[in-house]
Parts: sequence; C-alpha cells; structure tokens
Amino acid sequence: MRTHLLFPVSLAISCLCLSWISGLASLPPRELLGIAPEDENFYKSDVIKCKDGSKKFTKQQLNDDFCDCLDGTDEPGTSACPEGKFYCRNPGHIPQMIYSSRVNDGICDCCDGSDEYKGNVNCPNTCWEAGKAVCEKLKKKIATHQDGLVIRKREVEKAKQAFAKDEEELSKLKSEEKILKGLVDKLREHKEQIEKAEEEERLKKEEEKKQRDAERQSTEQNKSLEESPSDHSEGTHDTLLEKTSQPDKMDIGHESVDQLEKEYNSGIDIPADHTVGQVVDDHHDFIRSDHGSDDTSDELPSGHSTDQHVYEDKTTTNAGPNYETGAKEIDSDHAAEMEKGSESADGLSREELGRLVASRWTGEHSMKETNEPDDAKEEEHEQHEQNQDSSDSVEEESYDSDIDDDRHKFDDDDFEDEADEEYGEDHVEPDGSYDPDKDYSSELSDLTPSGSSSWVDKIQQTIQNILQAFNFFKSPVDISEASRIKKEYNDANSKLSKLRSRISSLTEKLKHDFGKDKEFYSFYDRCFENKQNKYVYKVCPFKKASQVEDHSTTQLGNWEKFDESHRVMQFSNGDRCWNGPDRSLKVRLRCGVKDELADVDEPSRCEYVAILSTPILCLEDKLKELQQKLEDLNKSQPSKHDEL
Amino acid sequence: MGGLNRRSPDALIFLIFLVFLASLTSAWKKDEFRSCRQTPFCKRARGRAPNSLPSFSVADVSLSDGAVSARLVPAPTLRQVTDDDPSAADGDDASSRSLLLRLSVYRGGILRLEIDEDPSSAPTTKRRFRLPDVLLPNLDDRRLWLSRLSPDGASATSFYLADGFEGVLRHDPFQIVVRRAGSGGEPVLSLNSHGLFDFEQLRAKKDDENWEENFRSHTDSRPNGPQSISFDVSFHGADFVYGIPEHASTSLSLRPTRGPGVDESEPYRLFNLDVFEYLHDSPFGIYGSIPFMLSHGTRSTSGFFWLNAAEMQIDVLAPGWDDPAAPNAGRVDTFWMSEAGVVDAFFFVGPGPKDVLRQYASVTGTQAMPQEFAVAYHQCRWNYRDEEDVAAVDAGFDEHDIPYDVLWLDIDHADGKRYFTWDRVLFPHPEEMQNKLAAKGRHMVTIVDPHIKRDDSFYLHKEATEKGYYVKDASGKDFDGWCWPGSSSYPDMLNPEIREWWAEKFSLKEYVGSTPSLYIWNDMNEPSVFNGPEVTMPRDAIHMGGVEHRELHNAYGYYFHMATSNGLFKRGNGKDRPFVLSRAIFAGSQRYGAIWTGDNSADWDHLRVSVPMILNLGLAGMSFSGADVGGFFGNPENDLLVRWYQLGAYYPFFRAHAHHDTKRREPWLFGEHNTALMREAIHTRYSLLPYYYTLFREAAVTGIPVMRPLWLEFPSDKETYDNGEAFLVGSSLLVHGIYEKDQKSASVYLPSGASWYNLRNGVKFDGGVSHKLAVSEDSIPSFQRAGTIIPRKDRFRRSSTQMVNDPYTLVIALNGSLAAEGELYIDDGKSYDFEQGAYIHRRFIFTDRKLTSIDIRPSNVGDKKFSTDCTVERIILLGLPSGAKKAVVEPGNHETNIELGPLTLRRASPPVALTIRKPNVRVTDDWSLRIL
Repeated sequence: MRTHLLFPVSLAISCLCLSWISGLASLPPRELLGIAPEDENFYKSDVIKCKDGSKKFTKQQLNDDFCDCLDGTDEPGTSACPEGKFYCRNPGHIPQMIYSSRVNDGICDCCDGSDEYKGNVNCPNTCWEAGKAVCEKLKKKIATHQDGLVIRKREVEKAKQAFAKDEEELSKLKSEEKILKGLVDKLREHKEQIEKAEEEERLKKEEEKKQRDAERQSTEQNKSLEESPSDHSEGTHDTLLEKTSQPDKMDIGHESVDQLEKEYNSGIDIPADHTVGQVVDDHHDFIRSDHGSDDTSDELPSGHSTDQHVYEDKTTTNAGPNYETGAKEIDSDHAAEMEKGSESADGLSREELGRLVASRWTGEHSMKETNEPDDAKEEEHEQHEQNQDSSDSVEEESYDSDIDDDRHKFDDDDFEDEADEEYGEDHVEPDGSYDPDKDYSSELSDLTPSGSSSWVDKIQQTIQNILQAFNFFKSPVDISEASRIKKEYNDANSKLSKLRSRISSLTEKLKHDFGKDKEFYSFYDRCFENKQNKYVYKVCPFKKASQVEDHSTTQLGNWEKFDESHRVMQFSNGDRCWNGPDRSLKVRLRCGVKDELADVDEPSRCEYVAILSTPILCLEDKLKELQQKLEDLNKSQPSKHDEL
Repeated sequence: MGGLNRRSPDALIFLIFLVFLASLTSAWKKDEFRSCRQTPFCKRARGRAPNSLPSFSVADVSLSDGAVSARLVPAPTLRQVTDDDPSAADGDDASSRSLLLRLSVYRGGILRLEIDEDPSSAPTTKRRFRLPDVLLPNLDDRRLWLSRLSPDGASATSFYLADGFEGVLRHDPFQIVVRRAGSGGEPVLSLNSHGLFDFEQLRAKKDDENWEENFRSHTDSRPNGPQSISFDVSFHGADFVYGIPEHASTSLSLRPTRGPGVDESEPYRLFNLDVFEYLHDSPFGIYGSIPFMLSHGTRSTSGFFWLNAAEMQIDVLAPGWDDPAAPNAGRVDTFWMSEAGVVDAFFFVGPGPKDVLRQYASVTGTQAMPQEFAVAYHQCRWNYRDEEDVAAVDAGFDEHDIPYDVLWLDIDHADGKRYFTWDRVLFPHPEEMQNKLAAKGRHMVTIVDPHIKRDDSFYLHKEATEKGYYVKDASGKDFDGWCWPGSSSYPDMLNPEIREWWAEKFSLKEYVGSTPSLYIWNDMNEPSVFNGPEVTMPRDAIHMGGVEHRELHNAYGYYFHMATSNGLFKRGNGKDRPFVLSRAIFAGSQRYGAIWTGDNSADWDHLRVSVPMILNLGLAGMSFSGADVGGFFGNPENDLLVRWYQLGAYYPFFRAHAHHDTKRREPWLFGEHNTALMREAIHTRYSLLPYYYTLFREAAVTGIPVMRPLWLEFPSDKETYDNGEAFLVGSSLLVHGIYEKDQKSASVYLPSGASWYNLRNGVKFDGGVSHKLAVSEDSIPSFQRAGTIIPRKDRFRRSSTQMVNDPYTLVIALNGSLAAEGELYIDDGKSYDFEQGAYIHRRFIFTDRKLTSIDIRPSNVGDKKFSTDCTVERIILLGLPSGAKKAVVEPGNHETNIELGPLTLRRASPPVALTIRKPNVRVTDDWSLRIL
C-alpha cells in the first residue's frame, strides 16, 4: 500500500543527476522544479500541452504558481494544482513522486529536501542515511528472495509430482470403481434371487402354520398395542411411514422430515453423527429409508442448509443493523427476564442493570460476570455439554445465543432452522480438528494403491469363485452358501462406498485452484499456527481457519478462495459475531524462507487479517525488481558521496 | 404485561417473541423512558383545559429597582382535586400564598419575567432552585431602568420595552403581553392568555402523605413533594415555531403535539438522556435541552426562553385546540411544563429573525470562537486501538492525499476507562504519538467522561472521595452508578470549587501523557448512568447546597462541559482556545465548544434528520454542531457513506465516527472511485475553510448560526418556512442534501429575491422556483447566491495548518445589477489575540465592474495586529457578460489577464467562468481591481 505513493523511477543517466546536484545549494531553476528527468524534453518547447490534452500553456506559465492545466502539467514544481505531482530526485536514495499538496507545506517530504525550496522550513538532506538503510533492507529482502526461490523451485517440483500422483490415483480408483460396481451388481442379483427363493420357502411354511397362527392372533395384537406407545419416536416413525406411502411422496416426505427433525431435536438434541449413539443412528437410518434412496437422503441436509443460508442473507440485507441489534437486545432482555421471570429488566440488581444497559453499546454479554444462570438455561446447558467435551467463555457466548435462538423455535420455524444449523456445526467438529480425509485414509488403507495394487483383482477372483460355486436350483437354498453371498455382497458394497467417498474427496481436492504451477498443492494437507497471548490461530488452507483458546475453538472462516493473484487467502463465513458480521480472515502471503504465520490482527470487529510468509511467494520477477531497485540505488549513491 | 406476572412460561416466550418482533422495527426501548402519562406533573398539567384553573390576579404593582414588581394572588376558591395529586386540594396554605413577580427589561428588546414563592411566608426551609452560571455575567449591565408605569385601562399596567414595543401586565386574570406600541397594540407574545398558569408551591409534608414516585424498579423519594410549574405561551403573527432542541425530527418546524387533527403524540420532552439508537423522528428527549423557542411568520419573528434545568415538557398546540369552532389563524399556542425550579423567562421581540437570535445570544452568549483546525475535518472511531493503528490511519490519509486535522481516541484508550490515564499496553508513548501528529500540523482528541471509576488506587477517585466532590445519593452517600468503568461516581459540577479542581486536571503536568496538541471530548454527560432511572442519575441525588438533581438535571452536562473547557483554557494560560466536544447541552453550551447529535445510525433517515437537527440547534445558539458522518451504529452502504460525506462537509462540525462493531470506515476502504468521491467532499470543506471561519466569527460576535434555515435569510418567502432538506451556509451558499438511495433527481427550492449559481457548473437558476435537477453521484446540489462573494483556498494540504500561507480564491457571483459583496475574517487561528484586535476583517465589494477590498476592522478594537503575506491568486466571476480580457489592479496599476477558467481545480472541470489570473493582491491591503 505504501508503495502507492512511491513512484520508483530509474535514473537512466547519472550525469544528469550530477549536474542537478551542483545546483542544489541554491534554488533550482523554475523550469526544472519537480520535473522528472525523462520528462524534461516534454517541457522544452515554448508552448506546452497539458498532458490531458485540455489546453496549452506557454513556457512562462510553467511553474508560475498558477494552475492552468487541471491535471497539474504546468505546475510540477508548485502546489498550485491539487492534482499535480512533484518529482524529488533524492540522490543517494530512490527518486520519488509526491503529491503537489506537499510542496512548500512546511513539512520535509523528499529526503533531499527539494520539496521545501521556499524555506518555510529547513530540511536537511537525509537521502544518504535513508538510502543506506533502504539499501540494507533491500539486500536482506533480496537474500530472502534468493533463498526462498531455491526452496520454491523444489516445492513446486514436489507439488507437481504430488498432484500428478493424485490425478493418477483418481483415474485408477475410477476404473476400479467400475469393476467393483459390476461385481456388486452381480452379487446383488444373486442375493435377490436367493432372497426370492427364501421368501417362497417361507411362504410355503407359513401356509402350513396358518391354522395355528390364526388361533393366537388376538393375543399377539393386544401385546403389540401395549408396546408401541411406550416408544415415542417409534410412534413418529409409524406415522411417517404411513405418510410416505401416500402418492404425493416427495412433498410430504420433506415436510415430515422437518417435522421429524423438530421433534427429534427437541427430544434428543444430538443431530450429529460424530458422537452418535444408537438412538441417533436409528433416526438417521430412518430418514434415509423414508426417502427411499441414499442419494436423496444425502442431499437433504445440504438442501436444508441452503434454505437456511438464504434466510440468513435476507435478514442481514433487509433488516440491517437494526435487526441485529434487535436480536441482541432481545438476548439481553431475555437474559434479564429469565433471571427473575418478572417485568423485564426491573428485577435486576443495580450492577446487573448497569451491565445490561452497557451491553447495548458494547455488544458484550452483559451477564458474563453474574453467575447463577436460571434453571431453564442450565438444562439446555447440560444437554449441550453432553455432546461437548469442553466449553469456555468464547463458546459460551455464542452458545448462549444459540439457546436464545432455540427458544424462538416454538414460535418461528425459521429460527429453529437457524439454531439447528449452528448447533449441528458445533457438534460435527467440536474441537475444530476433525478431518474427514484422515478418517477415510485410515479406514481405507487397505484400498490405497500402495497397500495392495491388485486387491480388486483378488476380490474379483473370490467373488467369481463363489458365484460359480453357487447352485441356484438347489432347493431348499443352501443356507451357508446364501449367507456367504450376502456377506460378500455387503463387504463389496461397503468397499464400493468407501471407494466412492475416496474418489469424491480426491475429486474435491483436485478441483481447487492451486496456482499456475500447482505451487500451493502441499498446503492442502497443512495447517499453520501462530500463538498470540492466550490464542492460537490455526490456518488450514483450502479448509478453514480458527482461533483456539484452551479447549474452545472459534471458526474464523471457511476457505473461500485466493485473491489478488494468489497473494491473499480468503476465509469467510466463520462463526457469527456478537452484534457483528460472520467472522472472516484474510491471509496475506509474503516471501519468506520458512512457512510462518504471523501478525494476526483484527482491524475491524471480527474481520481478521494475518500474514503468512512462505517461499512460494518468492517470485523471480519480484527478485528482479528488487535487484533493479538496488542497482538504481547504488547508482545514485556514489554521486551523493562525491558531493560530500 | 399481566402475562409476565403470572410467570407462565408460554406467556413469557410469547412476550419475548412479541418484543423481538417489535425490536425488528425499532430497537429503541420506549418502555425504558417515561412518557408524559407516566410523569405525574406532566400528566396533571396536560390534562387541564384552558381557563379551568382558579386564576391568579396581580396586586401591589410597583416599580422597584427599575423593574416592575407585583404579587400574584391566587383566587380564593379551592383548587380542584385531581386524582394524581389529591394533596394539592384541601385548601392548605400552599394554594393561598401569593407569589412574587418581577418584570425587567433589557436593551435590545428583551423582557424578563421572574416568578417565585414569597420567602417571607415559606412553610419550609427548602428554596426553589434558580440556575446560576447560564446567563451572561454582564447581562445586568444591559438592564433598562424603568421609570414609568402607564395604566392600561384599569385592568393592566404597561411599560416601555423597546422602540416600537411595550410590555403589558394584565391584572385579573394575570397575563403578560408583549405588543407593538401604538394604537393598534398588536400582540407579539403572551403568557397565560389561556389561563393555564399553575405553580405548585412547596409545602410541609403531612404525615399521611407519600410523595414517592416509582418508575420501573426505581423509586424517587421526592423529599420536597410536588413543585411543578406550567403555563401557556402564545406566539402571535406566527406560522411556525422552531427550536427547543434537542429532538430528532425530519421536520424543520415543530409539529403540533396536541389539538385537532393531531395524532396522539407526546409533548416535546426536554430531559437530557443517553438514548440507545434513538429514533429519527420523535419528540422524546435525547442528549440536550435548550428551552428556547422561536416563532416565525410573514409578519413577525419572536422568541421565548425559559431558564429552567428541570425536566420540561412542551406542547405545540394545533389551531383550534382551545376552541375547535374558531381555530386561531396566524398564531401558535404552546404549553410549557416543568417539574421544578422557578419562572425565569425571557421574551424576545424580534422583529426580524436575526434580531431574535441576537437577543437570545445577548442573554446566553454566542458561540466560542473555535481554533481553525477544529473547523476542518475530524476522523474518529470507537476505537483507534493502539499507536500502530493511529499511525496507520494517519499514514492512510497522507497516502490517499486526503486532508484531515484531528484524530480521535474513544474510551478504550484509557486504562480501564479511567480517564486522564492511558492503556500503556496499547498506548505506551502517548506524547510521542501526539507529537508525530503535531509535526504534520494535526491534533488529537481524547475522551474524558464524567463517570469516575470507583477504584481506590485511581488518584482521581481518591481525591474526589477525600474532598467530598461527588454528587450524593438521597441518603447522603457518594452516589454510585454504573457506567463504562463499572461502578462510578460523578463530580458535582454545580460547585464552582469542584469545577476549578476539575479544570486543573487538564494541566500538562496533571494529565500525564498529554501534550499541547491534545484536546478533549466530553461524552456521557447527560449524565449517562446505565443502572439509573431512564439511564441517568436519580432525581433525588443531591448536589451542592442541597440542590436536588431533578432541579438541575438538564444543566449537568453544561457544567461539565464548562469545567473541561475552562481546564483547557487554563492549560494554555488563556492563550489557547479550548476545543471541547460535548454531547449533553443546555442553553449557553455554545460558550464552551462544539456539540454533536450523539449516537445516530447508518441509515438514510438519520442522514436526513441531521439537517433539521443541526438547524434547530443553530437557531438555539449552538452554531458549532454536527452529526456523526456515516452514522454511528451500523454499516453504511457505500453510496450512503459518500452522500454523508458530501452533506457532512457542510456541517459546522465535520466528524466521521463509528461504533466498534462496525466495519472500518476510513475513506479509502471502499474502492478508488468512492475514495475519490469522499476526497472531493472533504476537499470541498477545506477549500471553504476561509468562508466557514469567517462565519464562525460572525456567530461568535452576533449569535447568527453558521448553518441556517432558508427562512433566516429569506424571512418573507413562505416556501422556505418548513424546508428541512436544504440549508444555507452563511448567507451565500445553499446546499440541498440527497437523502435517498439511487436518487436520480432532486426537487430543489431556491428562495426568491435572488438568482443562484450552481457551484459545479456555474449555471444560473432563478429564485422563487422549485427546480427539478438531475443528480450525479459526485456532488449534492449546491449554489452560490447571486450578489455574494465567497473566499476560498483551493490548495489542499495534509491539514488546515499547512494552508495558512496559501493564497485565496474569490468567487464572485454577480446579481442582476452586476454587484456582489462578501467578507473575509482571518486571525492566527489559535489564540485570543483577536480580542485585542489581532485580526484582519475585509469586505469585498464588487460594483460598476470594480472590485474593492476594504477594511472593516473597527479601529478601536485593540492594539494588537495580525498580518499575513497571503495573496489572492484567482478571482472567479460568475454572471459577468463575456468580453472582458484584462483587469487593472490599484495600487500599482498593474494589468492582469482574464480568461475562461473552471470553477474548481479538479480534473475535467469545464472552463465556465471568467477568471482573473494572478491578481496577487495581499489580503491585508486595501486594493481595487477594475475590469477593462
């Protein structure tokens, strides 16, 4: 940013520079004031054109302290034109263009002091010292770039290889998937035939038993009636299943799932499968079966969250800040009301009231320092804690607000959704380190190409054998054969789904923008950390960024994209801030010999920035530019030295 | 609310939901503040019908000490029993004691009415509070010695008031009338012409009485019982009334609050309150209270001021309120109610608008002359976090070539909100930081609020506690309230000794880490008390001499502002003009510095309301005021922010500010295009600084505000009376805000009697017409009035400080007779030397193709001289027929060229006006310039 002001101009001819220096002692000639050497020819003629072509001016009007050209062409050496620029030669340092507004304003801007020629102030020439310092800095920077560049080349090579390898694996997996799918299909066919045969046998047997069964019919019915109301969730299942059998299946199904989820959240409160117990599994299975196919059930949660997203956007754009604050007020009010259950804030102690009112302006949680949460809060609290290993002040804040949101669900479905969503996220990744990929790779280690390259072949062989050995026409069905087929089918099917998930995760990975040379490929599986006071900042490119304090994690954002031609990593949609935006993080990349996260800062509320040094940013062009700068600097230094 | 008491969870949830819905439309907590209905004295007074009270009659009229004195004798009938105040009945001595009345006349058309209880028959030791320190100390020197009373028939006494005006005291029922002298005797102002005068006298409490008042969880012990005063005031010959700030209203005039055709409304409330997210259109009280109202109509302008710092409620009554069958035309009736105090009221006869303002200023003072830097642009945010942040923001302005003069630090700069200290982690080197800014001619402002952290290790708290300098609670202990630092106490600023003590705290020695370039911001001085009733101090808190807080509440912030301002005055040994921004205000606050309209919001409505708010503040003496540019709460959209800069650049006080929850808002953060637009807006202000400074001088001398409603300059143009969208800067510049998103055109009314030149393109528009103008994003409509000359400086620097030697541009807008006039005031921009005559005051007159600069500095103003080498580099002539090629300057007889030039030195500005190149005459000199 700062370079915006500096217009480094190379000194092409050093003799020019010398000739000018000789005149430094006295006021330079008017016609030359503030003009860059390469521009001098432009100002040679008697009638000069404004650079913007608006008009012409005579040589007498050049630097006559009256603005004729609005772009400042005629006043390079004075402050007369607000849009003009003044050139300082700065021998011993880098030449510089400064705003005309700095000329003779009583403040030394150019290190050679040339901007203050009217003598309002005495500006010592500091170019030599400043130049030297700049020179040192430049040299250091160049060294870093040079070292970094070497590392970078190596890294880029590695990244390219890794990328190619993953691509190769992907294509291999895809072909394996094809084969395995064929096998699974065959197995399914067999399995279904076996089941059909078994079913026929069963029917036959049933026919025989029908007589006896009829006798016992009434007693059994009674028994099942007694049992079913005891399980609330099963009751729901029943209703739901009935509904799904209606012709308008999809619509009703969707609605029912919402309904189901509502009940199920209020009843059980554990939507995530991370710490899933048996009950939850049942529910999830149920949702799946409701929709008939795995595909639909997979899509459903995401569709759900999309709706939600839209809803959230709407509130922020339409209602704006008022809405936000409104919500916040409610929270505090609510908290107050919960406290005594009587007329709003009136029952608060003086201190509580003070904090409460203060919190409107600060957005801070007013009740933080009052302990004793009321019973209702406590309950919710406990429920949360069942699923959460830890909590601390940061999480508690967002968490309290969740509870408040939860309350609204009785009145407003949208709020329920919002609460659920935040809630769900919390539980999927309670410690912020959950990595689906990791899980996958450990489970599927037997499937990875390196493990055994011919596992597909093996499976293929086995299955072929089994299938051949199986005799369909034998009756009754050979039970051990049949169960073996079923088992093989289940095994193969589960392998297939693992394979598919690996394929999708690889595809997902390879879809990312890793830069022109795939130079950021190695970042995919890496996280960078920086400790600042009590916080540890953790940045995982392509994934997410978080702020960890003890055991609590605040999401600063999910990976969004690279910005500014791969010089910035943008993370967005992190945890919602109290009375603020969703958290976000901008990581500026900079050349360095090591990968290092530094300078994490929060310039605006909940908008974080950080700097990541990495060799990947040590670019050849930049090095050349720096070297050129140094060369220019060196060129001008001896002349200044001579003068001394 | 019943649902809550039953503690039914369903009802509670439902209620929460309802509150939530309500808060979607407005987060403002109406419940937290008292309505008139919840305020017994207001409810009592407002419920009365005209002439329903037993009347007072006047007895023993005499002249004493050059003033009229008399007794007000209550009618012997029993006072009516009211539900709310049964104790006022039963014929106790309170309603039969007579009151003392005094009428005095001051030079310039001012009548003062004082009514108080008769101490000789007082049943209690408590005396009613008369607010000191607000009226100018020299007011008494301007009192006229009345020597003659004329009987006005048998039932009244009249006396001289001013040339053409007389005062009348009607005897039975008691009434005060200000009227034009002569046979017609047309009334201008009257008090109690509707018989609503009531005065609850202090009395001893009876055993069975309970004087307590409860509001929410707060109990007001009211040890002195009911003591309210109310009366009606009529403004004759008026179409509209204005003033009584501070209220947020999109209307310039005061809308009626009661009467036929008026929706149920609260009266205008004057009670200084820290209102979180105040509404943009509401009669409720916010941060300041100035009980000064003025009326205007085609026939006359007049004013009324009630010096009383207790809670006040004022109804503006719609025509026909008293008699629906015969609605009054050409008169505005108002009804004034106050909880305590005395009647100390001033009638201002006008007859012109500026006369009324001068008259009011002669009672409460004029705007303190600000330092020049304070008139420039201020950059503020809650909070610039640390020294690095300060350096980065400062550098950002330089980098983008945007001038600014002052960087502000909000509450988080201090160590745990202990003002006068620094958070040494964030600000380890405060002096160095300030000096770095000062090296660029910039200044810093830190916040100092009245709540002092109750921390025994905090020197200020220790001292204040030991010396007993805090306001006491009703039980006599130091009042302990909750504010930013937590548990806090508040110095008793009513006490001059404590104010002196406070002032000392600003010395460079005592305020560690301060430097001479540091100035002060007083916030939260309503005072804001988070756990107090209505977020302020309990009314039964006790000040010096047993004065109850209720009696001086509205002036607490005024005293605090005064003490702080005095502190900076002392710090500079009386040579450095203080700059103190205050949020709470009272009549007279103009003498102590600038004020702003508090915590507004980043929405278009708040942009719009800023103009009528600032205009009404200006009419009530507060010239140096502004609204937070960009809006304090919330994030403005880019176009709103740009529009706000374009409008805010014309506010007398021009500061950007933002809440800490908002996104960063420095003007370069919204893309280059928007940066350019904001830079342009800020440049506009900087180029007009000479004009603004000249207007501040005018305000300091006369009380005429810098930013003016159109009717102030065009009093006979009815179209202007209620125009709150446009305003004048001085008398020469008209600005019309753009208050809507994507607004493509604006209907701009230009007052009649003058032509107007568009300041962008020099196009001339007729006055007296509403023009529909296309609106572009790069500016808001602004016009220079034909017949005026505006001095500018068109070179931009880092800050105003570096502009001191830069040359001037004069923009001459000629009227139909090719004439124009304007003024330029210059002094050193810092000190009080101008009081000894160290200033330049020029008048530029253009007539007969000749421009003359004449000295209008009176020769008797002092021996000190101010001098400058500044010249005029350019003269722009609007409305001169083309053809002129040259001008000759006298003395020296040197010729200079005239050519076609642009109106602003901005890229692509078209050459539209004749421009005199480099006349290079010195602004200190007499000279003339003839167009050939």
